[in-house]
Amino acid sequence: MVRFEESSITFPYKRSLGPVIGAFMTALTEKRILGIRNGDGVLVPPMEWDPATGAELPRELVEVGPAGTIQSWTWVTEPTEQHPLDRPFAFAFIRLDGASTPLLHAVDAGSPGALADGMRVAPRWKGQRIGHITDIACFVPGEASEIEGEDLGPAAEPVEMMDYLASITYRNPVPVTSDLVVDASRQHRLVGFRCPECGKTYAGGRGVCPIDALELNEKHLVDLPPNGTITNFVIVTPVQYPGQTETEPFARVFVLLDDTDVVLSYQPVVELPVVDVAVGVRVSAVWASAVEETEGNLYGSLIGWIPNGEPDVDEPDLVNRIF
Amino acid sequence: MPTSTDIAVVGWAPTPMVRHTELSETQLLVRVITDALQPLGLTRSDVDFTCLGSCDYITGQAFSFVGNLDAIGAWPPKRDSHVEMDGAWALYEAWLRLQEGDIDIAVVTGSGRSSTGNPALIYPMEMDPFYLAPIGADPVTLAALQARAVIAAGIADERSMAEVAVRSRGKGTVDELLSGDYVREPLRRHDLPPITDGAAAMVLARGDRARQLVERPAYITGFDHRTECHNPSFRALDDSPSTRIAAEAAGLGDKPVEVAELQAAFTHEELLLRSVLGLGDDVTVNASGGALKANPIMATGLSRIGYAAEHIFGGGTRALAHSTSGPCLQQNLICILEGRS
Repeated sequence: MVRFEESSITFPYKRSLGPVIGAFMTALTEKRILGIRNGDGVLVPPMEWDPATGAELPRELVEVGPAGTIQSWTWVTEPTEQHPLDRPFAFAFIRLDGASTPLLHAVDAGSPGALADGMRVAPRWKGQRIGHITDIACFVPGEASEIEGEDLGPAAEPVEMMDYLASITYRNPVPVTSDLVVDASRQHRLVGFRCPECGKTYAGGRGVCPIDALELNEKHLVDLPPNGTITNFVIVTPVQYPGQTETEPFARVFVLLDDTDVVLSYQPVVELPVVDVAVGVRVSAVWASAVEETEGNLYGSLIGWIPNGEPDVDEPDLVNRIF
Repeated sequence: MPTSTDIAVVGWAPTPMVRHTELSETQLLVRVITDALQPLGLTRSDVDFTCLGSCDYITGQAFSFVGNLDAIGAWPPKRDSHVEMDGAWALYEAWLRLQEGDIDIAVVTGSGRSSTGNPALIYPMEMDPFYLAPIGADPVTLAALQARAVIAAGIADERSMAEVAVRSRGKGTVDELLSGDYVREPLRRHDLPPITDGAAAMVLARGDRARQLVERPAYITGFDHRTECHNPSFRALDDSPSTRIAAEAAGLGDKPVEVAELQAAFTHEELLLRSVLGLGDDVTVNASGGALKANPIMATGLSRIGYAAEHIFGGGTRALAHSTSGPCLQQNLICILEGRS
């Protein structure tokens, strides 16, 4: 039975809007909708370039709507968390008065029976507008615009950026080899898998020999020595991106295990100050105690590597071993 | 520069196509590449070039194709490439690479585990980041709006769409299907593709090597792809000009085809594509069941080319395969395969 692991990835994007989309978003905070002139037509939503030819458009922005006509629609019976409304609604192509292309947006109409092509709709504005397409909460039947709650007015400055938070949850099968590595680490054993074809050993629960494209499993498990030599290292000055927990420069080292061809890459160190990290330093594995166990580590309870007091190895070729 | 017509598909293999697999994407590829090579008597060391098609957004892992390289046996180092697209575009790149004339055998793959994430929530994030992604414009909504346009143009109706579904999946009756509720009017459940995990691998060979490997190679005699504007607001949704131009460039009109494999994930897309490509009733469309039967994202298009090649392997003369990418058939690829006597 394969085990699955769920994980969520969040991408907090900040997007620059540029001169045309920026003007559109700024106007939304003023409860105005802008299009851009393209020959005889007016593109809504506005683009910097002609969609057909790619030619840059003169920046002639013109106000359209705010009311418009439904050109086409479809009814969303089960909205997702990404949709503008949390109750059934219509997504519609709405041709705003003065525009020659339709804007896709939500229409709050109660039921699909209330919708028809050619129907007139107007925006329901959010009270607090930030320069985002969802400043229009949705469109509603009729000619009259509405406001949701108290109108907090337009943005004080032109809107140049927008935030978009993409968050996705994934469910992945965990290779059996990964679990075997973690299980062994709970007994403070370091293990790898030896390919029966090429004889190379892989640490870290990699499920496949990349040379022979051969799947590995418990039959290929071998014990690895908990001692080795630093072959190379990097000192990372942490950039404070979301999720970064380190604040001070820290080391990541590459460890060649004794009497093997196995290099563990990008390993943390313990009781080894950044200034003392060097190629050739002899190290031993440090294991977490039962109370310190953390989930999600490739090597399970392996916390990192500590200098073991043995003399440094003076071998110029060591530095080449990062794989 | 005229392109070579001496490059052929000589074999392919799909994995089992399932709603949910316990295998990782790498494991799928390990097995399917072996399955494609073995019947030809080839091993990975015979392969001169690989190109993998996959998508990090679906896998949930940056640079996920690096892990997939474990499946190609990349030691000693190999010529390798990757496209963040359906494997059909990986095939296009391999076909271009073989034109250089210095190598003979290429393997391409397409792979995706759609069940890893929730496609309904992932795909809106791939839309226009300013106007569409923030309102959650999902592919089923956009497909429904295209279906309405195609119906309004007289190219399809709900009954002909249900007929496509019945023929593709081989189950149910049109009347049964039409009694179902709408998911997004005018689309019902049967008009939508399934969520599928799977992968496909294909072997390409050049010149004499192709003829040594199989009795009847499926020669690629035309190959082209074109794209349209990303935002459906600016497109005529009852047409597919990119498909039409790609088909002309690939020489579809030169001679009749017996079969066509179209990557139509929604029923109305098949009817629109048939209309745009001018395929008559004498052309067998999607005998494989198409994307309505199995829709392994990133391998769906490559599988179309695989089934079209099978038609040639089995004695056929000329086949068309189509792949697509983006909302409402935004980007379209046409591959023409021919047998020689």
